Amino acid sequence: MTEVAVDFRGVRKEFGDVLAIDALDLEIRRGETVALLGANGAGKSTAVSLMLGILAPDAGEVRVLGEPPDRAVARGRIGVMLQDGGLMPGVSVASMLALVTSMYSTPRPVGQLLVEAGLAHLASRRVDRLSGGQTQRLRFAVAVAGNPDVLVLDEPTAAMDAESRRSFWAHIRSFAADGRTVIFATHYLREADDVADRIVVLAAGRSVADGTPVQLKTVAGARTVRFTLGDESDAGLDRLPGVTVAEVHGTTAALRTVDVERTVRALLAAREHVPDLEVGGAELEDAVIALGGSSRTAPSRRSPHEGPDVLPTRGDDR
Amino acid sequence: MTTQPSAPSAPLTRFVSVEVTRMASDARFLVLMLGMPVGMYLLFTNLPGTSQSTGGLAPQVGAMISMAAFGAIGTALTATAPRLAQERATGWMRQLRVLPMPGHRVVAAKVLAAMIWALPAIVLVFAAAELDHDIRLAAWRWCAIAVLLWLGTAPFAALGLLIGYLTDESSAFAVMYGVYLFLGAAGGLWMPVPALPTVLQRIAHTLPSNRDAELGWSVAAAHGPSLVGAAILVGWLAAFTGTAVLAYRRATATR
Repeated sequence: MTEVAVDFRGVRKEFGDVLAIDALDLEIRRGETVALLGANGAGKSTAVSLMLGILAPDAGEVRVLGEPPDRAVARGRIGVMLQDGGLMPGVSVASMLALVTSMYSTPRPVGQLLVEAGLAHLASRRVDRLSGGQTQRLRFAVAVAGNPDVLVLDEPTAAMDAESRRSFWAHIRSFAADGRTVIFATHYLREADDVADRIVVLAAGRSVADGTPVQLKTVAGARTVRFTLGDESDAGLDRLPGVTVAEVHGTTAALRTVDVERTVRALLAAREHVPDLEVGGAELEDAVIALGGSSRTAPSRRSPHEGPDVLPTRGDDR
Repeated sequence: MTTQPSAPSAPLTRFVSVEVTRMASDARFLVLMLGMPVGMYLLFTNLPGTSQSTGGLAPQVGAMISMAAFGAIGTALTATAPRLAQERATGWMRQLRVLPMPGHRVVAAKVLAAMIWALPAIVLVFAAAELDHDIRLAAWRWCAIAVLLWLGTAPFAALGLLIGYLTDESSAFAVMYGVYLFLGAAGGLWMPVPALPTVLQRIAHTLPSNRDAELGWSVAAAHGPSLVGAAILVGWLAAFTGTAVLAYRRATATR
């Protein structure tokens, strides 16, 4: 049996004029927990749809567990939690799970699924009368009902509160601990960092970075220092202590730094005027750009002086 | 290393039974689709001067078959179109797409479940007719009429699925109901085809509603069902089912 869970080879997918996936090569091995990280529109959902056979590639090939994706789905080897997937309206929690497990050859018992999802006391409740958190737990139970080899989750926590998120990821970790493959799309850097042992960063339909969370953190930088440059020269900005990337957009300079304090001290020492100085967390988009090479004007790049101790986050507690 | 076997084919029966049982909790469906044809039948056959014969049958018998067909058609449409539109809105159809249940089997299960509900619609009108008018028909004839009307309901279940794909949650019932009334009126179920306006008379015989009821009228009038009629029904069934399967694939393939 193949050791490769998911294999994208030169995959390309367009929607009209929009190139959603561009020459994507990606190999995910069995047992890996992989985050597909990217901003909205980066191609995460399209990649997931291709992985499940919902979409067919315009070029290239996608294989899951050595076979075409829709075959793997039909054989019940993939469990899926879609971003906009739902439950059958008007049925009870128990009959929903009984229906789904009946579709698989080696399902988990309904009783076990109910207990794991914390829904045992709600087995006879209609699925459309569950709370948001209960609905998410039932959707997860549906995804793992067939004991799948590969679990695919498309932005699974988008509708969850902080507490639901914590317990959700605890479930995922125990699922992955059985040696199963977990692939999830997210735009939360922190989720990718906490859960995945490998992060693939997607931007404009391409894989722009691929590595362990530690590797990516080192490259991504942590915080951004901005000020108005005006007519002054940007010379030397990228050599300030802590700075990994220095960029100029119009009259504004943005310095990505792993050590805000040292950078700011050096900046104030080196320049008489530093108008509109502000410090912000690096946006995910910035991190992605830092990882993948920028399309912005004249970015200067150099190796980081030291690894940051936190990953930049954005919108994690919105 | 072991290879997992393909998913079993047993879920079809469970899928059908889940679909059937959840309809029982839909009050609008039960009252409107099972009760209304009975009421209309009693009204049509008890108002003086409104009874017209159909195909040489006694008015009570002709109208009984017409209303049974009308009820079965309405049940099949209501069990499919609004439900499917709702399931598309909640994302269930998307989830179903990534479960090991092929699209043609989803369509088949929904058609079967709708047809199972069409059976009581037919039986209720027959019971009302028998109680109210003491209709004399051989037992096998009752059964043959019921079975033929019932089989002839299949195209409407498929049509309901198609409507469920082409509309959204808010418009599905209204569109379905418009189609339903048109098929009933123009198909000669409310009044015999010769009593319809000329324009409608021309198209009446091409409609599946007319051909469904015709199966019953023929058996009641002691001549066999027409092959042309059966062929037209099968044609509609193939057209609606094929389009519904295509719509299923398309609806789930969008980004």
